[in-house]
Amino acid sequence: MIACPHCGVELETPLGCGACQVPLELTADPDPFSLTGISPSFNLDVEDLRARHLKISRWIHPDYFASSLELRALAESNTGRLNGAIEALEEPLRRADHLIGGLGGPSEAEVNDMPQVFLMEVLEWNEALEEARAAEAGSAKREAAFKLKSDLAEQRAARIDSIAELLHPLPEPKSEALSAARRELNAVRYLDRVLLELESLRLADAEAR
Amino acid sequence: MGYIELNVLNNQSSLAMGIDLGTTNSLAAVWKDGRPIIVHPESKSGSVPSVIHFPTNGSSPKVGHSGRDHAAASPERTLFSVKRLMGRPEADLQDELARVPFPVSEGDDGVLRVDVDGRKFTPQELSALILNRVHDHGCRALSGEKPDRVVITVPAYFDDAQRQATRDAARLAGLDVLRIVNEPTAACLAYGLDQEKTGTVVVYDLGGGTFDVSVLSIADGVFKVLSTAGDTHLGGDDFDHALVGLIVEGLKDDLSDEELKDPGFLTAARLSAERCKHALSSDPQAELHMVLASRGITFHRTVTRGEFEALIQPLVERTIDRCRRALSDAGVETGDIEEVVMVGGSTRVPLVQSAVESFFGRIPHTELNPDEVVALGAAIQAHILIGGSRDMLLLDVIPLSLGLETVGGAISKLVTRNSTIPCSVTEGFTTYADNQTGIDFHVVQGEREMVSDCRSLAKFQLKGIPPMPAGMARVAVRFHVDADGLLTVSAREESTGASTRVEVEPMSGLSDEEVERMLLSSVEHAEEDFAVRRAADLVTEIGTMRTATERSLESVREHLDKETLEDIEVALKSSQEAATSGADGAQLQAVRDELERATLPLASLLMDDVARAALSGKRLEDV
Repeated sequence: MIACPHCGVELETPLGCGACQVPLELTADPDPFSLTGISPSFNLDVEDLRARHLKISRWIHPDYFASSLELRALAESNTGRLNGAIEALEEPLRRADHLIGGLGGPSEAEVNDMPQVFLMEVLEWNEALEEARAAEAGSAKREAAFKLKSDLAEQRAARIDSIAELLHPLPEPKSEALSAARRELNAVRYLDRVLLELESLRLADAEAR
Repeated sequence: MGYIELNVLNNQSSLAMGIDLGTTNSLAAVWKDGRPIIVHPESKSGSVPSVIHFPTNGSSPKVGHSGRDHAAASPERTLFSVKRLMGRPEADLQDELARVPFPVSEGDDGVLRVDVDGRKFTPQELSALILNRVHDHGCRALSGEKPDRVVITVPAYFDDAQRQATRDAARLAGLDVLRIVNEPTAACLAYGLDQEKTGTVVVYDLGGGTFDVSVLSIADGVFKVLSTAGDTHLGGDDFDHALVGLIVEGLKDDLSDEELKDPGFLTAARLSAERCKHALSSDPQAELHMVLASRGITFHRTVTRGEFEALIQPLVERTIDRCRRALSDAGVETGDIEEVVMVGGSTRVPLVQSAVESFFGRIPHTELNPDEVVALGAAIQAHILIGGSRDMLLLDVIPLSLGLETVGGAISKLVTRNSTIPCSVTEGFTTYADNQTGIDFHVVQGEREMVSDCRSLAKFQLKGIPPMPAGMARVAVRFHVDADGLLTVSAREESTGASTRVEVEPMSGLSDEEVERMLLSSVEHAEEDFAVRRAADLVTEIGTMRTATERSLESVREHLDKETLEDIEVALKSSQEAATSGADGAQLQAVRDELERATLPLASLLMDDVARAALSGKRLEDV
């Protein structure tokens, strides 16, 4: 932990000092966990995260520094980083992404050995989607595709659980668990795309009616 | 001594003003004695109609009440609902442009211009006139204080271009904008302070031209917006328009299509629709009554509240749809909402109140004046911003996602809607061709998946990438949305440090240079030019009249009585004085009119003389 250059108090976040109630110049480009002063973990308490968000905001928000150009710019920039970091941590997939990256795990593009079973499933979903798109609104084919949704949602939830298990407790840097978690993450991203397409088809149907 | 000088130099007002720049009405408020108050001159109400009238004689535009009084008599010169035009391209406004009785067209820069006598005004300039008026109006209650630092409110659902246009308007008005604040957020601040409320609150804000719904959580003085949704083209104006439809329907046999689009007709219809709508808020039925003097046509029809409600039902339903989305984005359900606060004049419509009540399952809160609560909230935020209080904090969100165009017209979203602002996000991009030395970026705003459905904000290019195989370059693009909800984009190639920074200037917006130019040749200056020209014309005209009068006096002096002669002499003398002493247009006009009046007997005498001369020696039948 670093100390505040003004008052010497140990800092909860590099973004600013709670004792001095001012934003501080950042010397490095920390990840969202260090930025918010939260220890890296997949199972973090979202309520705690939000409380921390408000607490730090009260120290460094640009609204409190409108009269000083210099402080205002720093407050604006630090609060921007704070909000970006909170946003990233609140969302489980982005949180997992930061954890995997932070521990030297592979990036989204670096994992291309998805299991054969999953690839077969992807082919099936694509086929169903294509048929649904070609079919008329309200037709049986469309309704069948919409029924896929609950299966997909179930699978998605299971994969998120498995990510949580893989990342808790935190695996060793560059370990195989990180690659496994990344594979699950990629699968979830794929599921989300299919779910989104189905949802937009459903909305289009609803609108047409 | 030095102390006094310091005071003189440091004459900035200790106050900051909150201004609600509305579609129909605008208001100002300041923080005084521990609470926000609406400021207005004694004997006048706080609200200033957002209406501008340009008089035919070229004198200063009349803004506010005095402007609105001209709407019926001279519709083409009386501009209203300017806010609907702010930051929008012509293509987005086809429906509304058909409704307004004044000509609007798009300039080469993509900014709309309203045409009055061939003089063209941007919505920004017109809004600046309204801002000046409401600022003056408020200052008159502040015994000499002129707070130039202001907080201006905008609909939460305003996009980057509309916010930018509002900020430019304030700059043109010579005001120092501390912050652009979202209207529902401001309203919640005023409400929360007043009621010392905590918990999850919904603000339903239906104004003259815009609709917003925001979900907020209030705890320990922090007002955090969880989500916002809305429609920048839905408001009380649309309710009026539905009633105008009844008039058009009723008169379509009597009037041609052309006449039904006539500015005079549209304005008369709009004003009577407005009266009828107001009456229907309290009465079960009301008269829709309109006289079209120019055609000797009277339209009369009774409208029941049921009929009116059937007409506006789809519009109200649209607002409820937006509420549904705001709740889902905030991750809450109607049962979690502790209070629904109603803001905006259109929430007085009973159907709106009952629809909101039945959707949220609770009686909405209407104790605060829905017309004033936004300005009051703006004054609170202004007070916080000038360092008056650290007890409260407002955390607002960006209403629409921001992203970059990727291959095939798809969008990569960098900042998703309802992210807390200010917000910084960096994302990596790379080259897609070998030895590519530049990347084009196209910044868009909106929720749809394809670029063509979103608002295009800016295009820029990052150059100077060293030649390398496709996919090797590492370009970091950083989006920073500031506390006003305005975006700045920077891009950097990380191996070489080649960088580009763009302040996002919306493609249909005013550039900084244009704003500067307008500041120099502002409307006031244009008026001055006009006044100078007018005065010069009058001096010439008075000169001609004097010469003619003096010459005629020579010949007919003996035929005029003493009183008339004296009258003319006095008028001649004062007109000469005025013409040579640099009097202003109004004074010159007065002496010119006086000279004309005084010389009337002379003129009729001359006419008789001329007539006699002409007729002498001619037979009656030849005449």
